[in-house]
Amino acid sequence: MLYIIFYFQVHQPFRINKYKVFDIKNSVAYFDEDLNRHIFNKVSERCYLLTNKLFKELIEISDGRFKISFSITGTFIEQAKKYRPDIYKSFLDLVQTGGVELLNETYYHSLSSIFDLDEFLEQVAKHAEIIKKEFGFTPHVFRNTELIYFDKLSDVLLNLPHIKTILIEGADKILKGESPLYPRISYNHVHLLLLKHYKLSDDIAFRFSDRSWEKYPLTAEKYVSWIKNLTLTEKEGKNLYLNLFVDYETFGEHQWKESGIFEFIKKVIELLLNEKNISFLLPSEVISTLNYKPKTVSVPEPTSWADTERDLSAWLSNSLQWNAMKTCYELLKLAKEKEKKDLIPILKTLTTSDLFYYMCIKYFQDGDVHKYFSPYSSPEEIYRYYMNILSDIEENLEE
Amino acid sequence: MRVLMLTWEYPPFITGGLGVACYGLFKALAEKGIKIYMILPTREKGFFQIFSPLEADYPTAKKLNKKQIESIPLSFYEFHYLEPKGAYSPAFLTSITKKWELPKLKTKILYRVPNEVLKRISHLLSQNNSLISKVSTYTENVIELSKYLKFDLIHAHDWLTYPAGLFLKKLYKAPLVTHIHATEFDRALSFGHPVIHEIEYLGLNFSDRVIAVSRYTSNLIKEHYKVAEEKIRVVYNAFLPPLKPPQKLKKFKEPVILFLGRLTIQKGPEIFLEFAKKLIRGYGKKVRFLIAGAGEMERYLMLEAASLGIGTKIMFTGFLTRAEVETALSMSDIVVMPSVSEPFGIVALEAMSYGCALIVSKQSGVSEVIKFAYKVDFWDINKMVNIVINLLNNPQKLEEIQEKAKAEVQKFRWSQKSEEIINVYKELISH
Repeated sequence: MLYIIFYFQVHQPFRINKYKVFDIKNSVAYFDEDLNRHIFNKVSERCYLLTNKLFKELIEISDGRFKISFSITGTFIEQAKKYRPDIYKSFLDLVQTGGVELLNETYYHSLSSIFDLDEFLEQVAKHAEIIKKEFGFTPHVFRNTELIYFDKLSDVLLNLPHIKTILIEGADKILKGESPLYPRISYNHVHLLLLKHYKLSDDIAFRFSDRSWEKYPLTAEKYVSWIKNLTLTEKEGKNLYLNLFVDYETFGEHQWKESGIFEFIKKVIELLLNEKNISFLLPSEVISTLNYKPKTVSVPEPTSWADTERDLSAWLSNSLQWNAMKTCYELLKLAKEKEKKDLIPILKTLTTSDLFYYMCIKYFQDGDVHKYFSPYSSPEEIYRYYMNILSDIEENLEE
Repeated sequence: MRVLMLTWEYPPFITGGLGVACYGLFKALAEKGIKIYMILPTREKGFFQIFSPLEADYPTAKKLNKKQIESIPLSFYEFHYLEPKGAYSPAFLTSITKKWELPKLKTKILYRVPNEVLKRISHLLSQNNSLISKVSTYTENVIELSKYLKFDLIHAHDWLTYPAGLFLKKLYKAPLVTHIHATEFDRALSFGHPVIHEIEYLGLNFSDRVIAVSRYTSNLIKEHYKVAEEKIRVVYNAFLPPLKPPQKLKKFKEPVILFLGRLTIQKGPEIFLEFAKKLIRGYGKKVRFLIAGAGEMERYLMLEAASLGIGTKIMFTGFLTRAEVETALSMSDIVVMPSVSEPFGIVALEAMSYGCALIVSKQSGVSEVIKFAYKVDFWDINKMVNIVINLLNNPQKLEEIQEKAKAEVQKFRWSQKSEEIINVYKELISH
């Protein structure tokens, strides 16, 4: 059997204001309310509304045989409730079909697992709490920000016994030539690891409308034939697990509606539903369907799904990112010590990884993905605003 | 007296001290009754008229037919520092100085601009380079516009306008004053772009008088460009008192030390960063450093500063508006100006007027005229650190020097400088 596990990342960061040195002590408007609302509205119209509707129909038409999973960040839920209650409601409706599993991650989509493990556990617990409160769902599967994973993370997650399974990047350096279709066991034998099939995932997420790609145009038939070919290599009857992990905004935002992405994904799912030896699965269902004992795998260095390096360099490859992040966690620690209840949530919101992604220099050129996603004109610009905000908070902390 | 001013910068279109100096000077000259036409590198073909101090604040842009240009704001060609290309040596300069036989100084009688000089200038401007081609366009515009204007004297500011100045001088047999606010040696910190050097050389040597903004600059042009001492007049810059009386603004609990200037190698921001590092190590208590300004070194400086991992202690402001410059000064306790080569440095006077203690490099023209500031060689970082630590540990001493600086700077007024300039004009115009 070939199982297909769809997981979609649903996230929006709180982008910061163009906060100047001169705003210090004059303003606490750290976040760009207008920009955040504008982007949320734009993505709602282009992606969330249409995609939620499509997936809800597919789940209902297939009698629940089509299944998907979401990781919805805390900052997304806050923005949805604030800016677009209709979007919040449509996710709620989708979850109520029963064909959706919700994953657990850091509330703020942060890199706290790298910088501050206590904070990391707090953010994961806070996220589990909001998922429970808003959707009535208790998650059993964890995915870290941008699929960051390393051995020690599995040890840390022992603190959260409800977590049984972790989604990770099927990076070449983890697989070492082997297939991502077989789940693995963490080095400490505690967690089941599901590995992203980055080729087939990125065919949808990045290459779908790329006219210079030799496989362009990608039709549903072509894509499904690639999926079917995956089963050819397995001769012992072991179940295979195809993990297709993409940003939810792929549908309609990164790949525009005009590219035919909606028709494509609908057709792919319809074709797959007709296949006898292929079915959809939720991440938490993998454990009970395994007909073999997975191999263990050790991942000493952090891996992620970002950039071609698939490491932490998207957020931590230059000193701006490093100093900004380090200072934020230091101030957060101080705020906790001093019990500054008003400043703690602000600092936590400032741990959101996107803010450091915008400070990345290595790919910040015209047309590059970092620049495409950044609302700031340069890494230097956001660094200035970010550090000014931290300075203002620092001044308030010392009072 | 009608003066045709040729300049590349004027507020609000400024990238450095040139525009600020022109504004202060033109306004003071207008107060003394000098009538000014000004031509800037605007995309629209037009000139500006400054016949009164008020017009210095809001110069009226006019077309060839003297009708006012409606489309305001006008768009300007930006000035970018021209990277020196290739390796240049002092031998290059020797070759130009040998090529041109310089006219002997004759008082009262004006210099002649030989046709070969203008031919050479045309050749230099025909280079395929975006900035130089802008200078060429500007020169053509000035020649065309000048036909519609009546003036007694041409006053050209910095190399970008020297070609236009030389052509007009030849065309109208009018006296030409070339004002040198910065040389290519200051910008490049050694030999810079050969075309710019040659234009500076010709502009300074074939004009009737040269105004240098400091002894420092005067010595530089005498040494490198062989400009005759007799025709150089040193007129220091002054500063403009801000509209509102300067007030101190306490934003941070700890003392604030400011670097203010373009982030280019000439202004020494890297030296400032090194100074900051050493001060943090040597002082022990909290200090905040503000690096204010924009420039091509920003990313490099930011990465360096961030790599120290000292959080928010070193802050960057990015590009500042005039009002923001004033706020930055009012936030600061000490200003450090470690310029490697600074013809004058108006920022120093502004810093003093805001009651900031000032540490300025000896390689800055301004250090020749101010008394209540610490003057240090730009490379002597240890000395800068010792001075600042001493000031921070003695608040009374710090306050004393701040007060003295504030009082001293009041004497550097444009009204006095404009008289010195008018005297230079009078040397050239009999009536």
